[in-house]
Amino acid sequence: MKSKILNELTELLEHNVISKDVASDISSYYQAKSDEQPNRLFTVFGVLGSALVGLGIILILAHNWDNFSILVKTFFAFLPLIIGQTISGYSILKNKGQTWKESSGTFLFFAIGASIALVSQIYHIPGDLSEYLFTWILLGLPLIYVLNSKAVSMLIIVFATYYACELGYNFGTVNKAPWFYLAILLGAIPFYINLLRKSPNANTTSIFNWLYALSIVIVLGTFIDYNWSLGFVMYAMLFGLFYNLGKISVYSNQQLRRNSFLLIGSLGTIVLLLILSFNMIWKEMHYELISVYSQEMIISVVLFICATGLLLYSKKSQKSPKFNLFQYVFLLFVIVFVIGNGNYGLGTIFTNVLVFTLGVFVVKIGADSFRFSVLNYGLLIISAMIVCRFFDTDMSFVLRGILFVAVGLGFFLINYFMLKKQKELKQKL
Amino acid sequence: MKTIHIFLIFIVVVLLQLFVPAKMILDREDILKTGTQYKFKTQPVDPNDPFRGKYVTLNYEIDSADAVAMDSTIHSGDRILVYLDTDSLGYAKLHSVSKFKKNTERDYVEAKVQSYNINTKKVNFQLEFNRYYMEEFKAKPAEDIYRKYNLKQDSTDNTYAMVAVKEGEAVLKDIYINDKSIHYYIEKEANQ
Repeated sequence: MKSKILNELTELLEHNVISKDVASDISSYYQAKSDEQPNRLFTVFGVLGSALVGLGIILILAHNWDNFSILVKTFFAFLPLIIGQTISGYSILKNKGQTWKESSGTFLFFAIGASIALVSQIYHIPGDLSEYLFTWILLGLPLIYVLNSKAVSMLIIVFATYYACELGYNFGTVNKAPWFYLAILLGAIPFYINLLRKSPNANTTSIFNWLYALSIVIVLGTFIDYNWSLGFVMYAMLFGLFYNLGKISVYSNQQLRRNSFLLIGSLGTIVLLLILSFNMIWKEMHYELISVYSQEMIISVVLFICATGLLLYSKKSQKSPKFNLFQYVFLLFVIVFVIGNGNYGLGTIFTNVLVFTLGVFVVKIGADSFRFSVLNYGLLIISAMIVCRFFDTDMSFVLRGILFVAVGLGFFLINYFMLKKQKELKQKL
Repeated sequence: MKTIHIFLIFIVVVLLQLFVPAKMILDREDILKTGTQYKFKTQPVDPNDPFRGKYVTLNYEIDSADAVAMDSTIHSGDRILVYLDTDSLGYAKLHSVSKFKKNTERDYVEAKVQSYNINTKKVNFQLEFNRYYMEEFKAKPAEDIYRKYNLKQDSTDNTYAMVAVKEGEAVLKDIYINDKSIHYYIEKEANQ
């Protein structure tokens, strides 16, 4: 960007568009701006380099060198750790730049993993992968704050997700809910909140938006134990919470692609409702006994309360709140779920009506605001629902064919009319 | 916050990071030096761990017990205590299982419950020390060697793990086939 502007300056000078003074002012302004910012690219390469070296060391140690004595092995277990600690300590004490802190923090994080891995090998310490990951994460977590390191914070989220999946999605053997995952998140979130306050529009902050949203969506499933049907409620509440979180000014003032919570909340709700639009799912659930005193129920209730709180907050903080059906879907879902458990036929019908209404609602928003992406998202919701219906109804092939053609034509026509209307409006202006 | 304060907190973190592996080492060394040694009959197979490398999983012969005396609130995943005894040939054998610590001098180790049958009151469990880490290219041969010796159907061939036990903690020392370390057989195989 900067070099582009500086190149333009010479052209503008040659054609006498701007004076020499203005040109030198502009170039010195950009010069000063770039001096203020640390070299981001250098930081990224520093972190990547440290991560690769750290992982490399873990792999080399994982070879488990038989020829070395226990003493030599122990020495190598501590060597990377002490090197990492020394460099990190140096960068704190000398108040080195962010590049130093991020890189040394990343290296130290992996050195901790290498160290406890090697000790585990030497003494054949029992314990599966999840226990090992948990110790590693706990020892690495404080580095986020002492080094003020975004890279370590990202690593902690990724490893916490890994830990939770390892423990919770343990197919075949005993599944355990990874409650400590929540503790790790609680430990890491203050750093994220601070980032949202200080630099909500930074690229790294949007990476955090996505990491947290994805991690929570992935991990929530590990808390489903026996009451799998309540799993749907858990996810519906989570997506409701996400959507309403995305409506809070910190997120809603950002570009849509950075607002992970809104996007995942909206898409997740639709996918979930599409799954539940099948009659057979409701039929299966009908025969399930739902235990009220279960962890699934507790989590659903907690998420429900949080989502409702956020909904009220976002309505209160907006001056002229517009009605948005997506913000209320989680409330409607609870009603549909209760009805559907009593009568599975009604559950199916209500879900289909809900998906269809959401689709129409999105189309309307898109048409009103002349946003083609939103309009087509709405059309996609409606057509996805129609496509799904082809799997569980006994419609004739001719009728299905006609419906497909109708949906396709609908896409063309609605887009065409909107384009036309937009042109007319522009001409009037 | 001042740099020096952050640095002091960092020092505490550093000490913790050093303390955890050091404590792991010192605890194990203590058990190896002062613990009682037991021979657990076993069968090895080799899987691997992404961070800690190759190991052989040991399936111990001690893997189930009658739990008549125990209360019925045992679930899979629970930890129970397995009290040990020695048979006439010197191998470890099961004395009893318990959910809580008994008032006895007898050695015990921890185990993870895999299943519990309420009707037969039989509990299946897995002893905790079931990973023996080996050099990358030796884990598979170790398993093959074990299979070779086991196939001979010779009752005199015995595979066992030497384990040091102290106050409920156990450290796996080595795997033996007929009183020789598995490393001896791997080297013999490599030399042939």
